Amino acid sequence: MRIAFISDIHSNLEALKAVLDELDKEDISLIINLGDLVGYNASPRECVDLVQERQIISILGNHDLAATHLKFAEGFNILAYQALVWSANTLLPEHKRFLENLEDTRVLWDRYLAFHGAPKNPDAYIFYLFQVKKAFNYMRKKTAGVRIGFFGHTHKRAFWQRDVRGKVSSLDIQAEPLLLDPEQMYLINPGSVGQPRGNHWEASYLIFNNAPERVEFRSAAYDLHSAQAKIREAQLPEYLAERLAAGV
Amino acid sequence: MKTYQKECKLKDGSTVLLRPLVAEDREGLIAFFQSLPENLRLYLRHDVTDVSIIESWTENIDYNRVFPVLALEGGRIVGNASLHRIPFGWKRHIGTVRVAVAPDYLDKGLGTLLVHEIVELAAEFGLEKLWAEFPLDVPAALAVFRKAGFSSKAVIEGLVKDLRGRNTDVVIMVCDIGSQYGF
Repeated sequence: MRIAFISDIHSNLEALKAVLDELDKEDISLIINLGDLVGYNASPRECVDLVQERQIISILGNHDLAATHLKFAEGFNILAYQALVWSANTLLPEHKRFLENLEDTRVLWDRYLAFHGAPKNPDAYIFYLFQVKKAFNYMRKKTAGVRIGFFGHTHKRAFWQRDVRGKVSSLDIQAEPLLLDPEQMYLINPGSVGQPRGNHWEASYLIFNNAPERVEFRSAAYDLHSAQAKIREAQLPEYLAERLAAGV
Repeated sequence: MKTYQKECKLKDGSTVLLRPLVAEDREGLIAFFQSLPENLRLYLRHDVTDVSIIESWTENIDYNRVFPVLALEGGRIVGNASLHRIPFGWKRHIGTVRVAVAPDYLDKGLGTLLVHEIVELAAEFGLEKLWAEFPLDVPAALAVFRKAGFSSKAVIEGLVKDLRGRNTDVVIMVCDIGSQYGF
């Protein structure tokens, strides 16, 4: 079975459509969205509609939560806050109902864990070794049998491994498929569909093959100018349009 | 611009609105800086009593170079913080913070709130470091920046002169945004 993992779509319909178009050319059984479907960009309704229409399994992200309950947006900076208020005003009640009913963490087939920032905490980040170790420890103690965790939130691709001795290391991300060792644990971030921050503008996603276990980090070009034009039309902060081109 | 603002609570329970500076803030900004007593203006980089300087700020807004954030209470500007960026060169990953708070809003946590907002914005802009420098003999400023994640990196004795010509020590504080947000 081949599963696509996407994350941090952030209301970028053009990027989401481009990724789905690419996935439609593949033999994909399931698409899993690791959270932050809305925020920042200008097509929140369309993205929520499309994710539901395509029956994409979605996880709750911190922007999803904040767009449905603005009290959770108070800690966001004024650029992100502006986009959240705009999203909250744009989303229809049925969109908000969909978002607020999302789970923050999900175990798939008793083997894989999907979450947004950190297990049970969409706000927390997994960037550094100590954060990675904490997430691996959670998986070992709370989700026995789970070896691979998929997460988002940072908008950057990541590929961490924990070997049988407990040594944790960051692995290089390559263009070609990467085979996973069945004896080891992994934490994998596919990067962001709608606002990549790895100094590249293309939408990032990941394809996971479960037998044998293998991951492929992919990216898709999309209509950047259209996404930027919508941000400007919505009178969202100009920086949110500019950053898409810079990949920051 | 209607929703381009955020309501925040201060320590005493009062609220302020945070939003970026816009051209229409000319009068309010002039009034704010003119209301600062001399002891608060001693170490500012510009003569903020000169209206033409304030006008040059409100007429030449470029958020990519300077992102100014205002704190307002009932339409009155009570605080101003700015994030200064250099787009090219060896300091392109570093932002500089400047902050000023109205005297009647000191000790209410407004300085901390503004510096926190600048730190969050710096992360959003992908900056790796934030730089702040101010006189060593302003312990309140030290506390504000420490609370926002800055640490002292250097003290340079007698480096600068205040408006009265007295030499004074400067402390340089840096916030490592990269280590907080993984850049």
